[in-house]
Amino acid sequence: MKAFSRATVLYNRESECGARRLGLKLKADGLRPGHFFMLRSPNTIDPLLSRPLGLYRVLDAAGEVLPVKRQSPFSGEGIEFLYNVVGRGTTLLSEKQPGDELQLLGPLGNGFPLPQDLGTDKAIMVGGGMGIVPFYLMAALLKDGLFLFGARGAADAALAEDFSGLPCRVEVSTEDGSVGAKGLVTALLARELTPDSLVYACGPPAMLKAVAAMAASAGARSYVSLEKTMACGIGVCLGCAVKIKAEHAGARGQLKMVCSEGPVFDSVTIDWDDIC
Amino acid sequence: MSEKNLHIKENKIDSSVSLGGLNLKNPVMTASGTFGYGLEFTPFMDLASLGAIIVKGLSLKPRCGNPAPRIAETPCGMLNAIGLQNIGVDAFISDKLPLLADIDTHVIANIFGETVEQYCEVARRLEDCETVKAVEINISCPNVKRGGIVFGVDPVEAAKVVSTVKKSVKRLHVMTKLSPNVTDIKVMVRAVEEAGTDSISLINTLSGMAVDVEKRSPRLGTVTGGLSGPAIRPVALKMLWEAAGVAAVPLIGVGGITTTRDALEFIIAGAAAVQVGTASFMDPSASQSVAHGIDDYLKRHSMTLSELRGSLSTP
Repeated sequence: MKAFSRATVLYNRESECGARRLGLKLKADGLRPGHFFMLRSPNTIDPLLSRPLGLYRVLDAAGEVLPVKRQSPFSGEGIEFLYNVVGRGTTLLSEKQPGDELQLLGPLGNGFPLPQDLGTDKAIMVGGGMGIVPFYLMAALLKDGLFLFGARGAADAALAEDFSGLPCRVEVSTEDGSVGAKGLVTALLARELTPDSLVYACGPPAMLKAVAAMAASAGARSYVSLEKTMACGIGVCLGCAVKIKAEHAGARGQLKMVCSEGPVFDSVTIDWDDIC
Repeated sequence: MSEKNLHIKENKIDSSVSLGGLNLKNPVMTASGTFGYGLEFTPFMDLASLGAIIVKGLSLKPRCGNPAPRIAETPCGMLNAIGLQNIGVDAFISDKLPLLADIDTHVIANIFGETVEQYCEVARRLEDCETVKAVEINISCPNVKRGGIVFGVDPVEAAKVVSTVKKSVKRLHVMTKLSPNVTDIKVMVRAVEEAGTDSISLINTLSGMAVDVEKRSPRLGTVTGGLSGPAIRPVALKMLWEAAGVAAVPLIGVGGITTTRDALEFIIAGAAAVQVGTASFMDPSASQSVAHGIDDYLKRHSMTLSELRGSLSTP
């Protein structure tokens, strides 16, 4: 159930790979892979806007990562985010200490369509960098999952170790070739893609565009999680509009809101030329 | 008198306000463009806690708005260039309005046109919708090429829109939302008042701009946009205070109101009511908190809202 609430920081630490892990004490249910939350510091107006962060893992009351179960939606006593410090908002977030409070709005967004609802229990997940985030919970829902993780180098690639306890095969590519295959994650996808593949993707826009094109030409279904600057997270500021193709336009025209109608879209509906 | 009002009377808090015939249970509204069609906020607050909700600006035909990026954060504020994306007045009436019929607060429709005639036609279509109690004429949007600000910075054009809309409706209260992007707000206040507006809301966003220095490109797709949020509050307050010096019709203060204290500043400076805008993006229940906070303040000071209004003591 989406709500605006306060949550206490359980931990906020830099992991071995440089990304930060933020654990919050928050009773939450109805959680699905691909959901996100808007986070802000209470009683501040600068920065003004909350920051959207994707849900990574679900925690128990003690702040331990809950073992995954093949059942969605998820619920827990806490949630974990994974984030990189990229600007002022995330820099301030990185300074939060255990015991500090944050304000949270969520869970928000549609989340990925569940494999079970698409009549399968196998899927290929493609994550680039922080695009790993929605796939921890998704991997838990698959019987035969394959996670293709594209990282810059060995440090980033270490994140894939989070998936070691999950019932899913993990393949890694790095741009510098220090771990796994050298090159882009799309090269790994090219090897695995078949017409009956179900592809889930999250990562940089250029990666998503490439994944969408590859899946389309293979005749496979693909769903992508998009990211846009947003103010409200609930479909009212209309800041995070994404252009969809004319043939998929509804009565409301060719724009959809990433926050409330996404962030996950069937990739064939997106006007990719407008994205990048 | 409803039970709720009776209850307020007994506790000697009277935060109700009459805006020239439009009676609100309290002086807090939501600013157009920051509150969707209202329903988006029901998981987070009680819409009935507000004096009114003002829905996203409506045009005669649906509008898809401006290219991305549409928003950019700035110090204590944000720029937007949405471009009045909306579903159009007909879809609003058929799809959204029935869902708002049972909500115990007034619905005010912000209206927009590229021509005077379009403003009037939107107003006429809303005239028959009982759920809508007022229209707020948007002559102040800086983010569209035609209409909007073109009318809002010229007192003659502004008066033309207001008087024509006013003549085309009977039942609806007509509120006019002014732009701050003028040399002297008092000139605009007098112009729309003489044209027959029932109330005036001010201010809409301030024209602004931001640059991405790494890319050497504007941070908005339309280059310039409208600045909102706490950053503009002192400017809005000064304009409201100036307007209060010349206006006979009720004034509604808008611009960066985030907390109860902010809202009180506007009321003390002469506002009959206030609108909470960008704050709803930061906290979806901000408007409700402001409404409750004003009640608390009145109780603490044993005052009525009308006693508080314009009570500023200047040196």
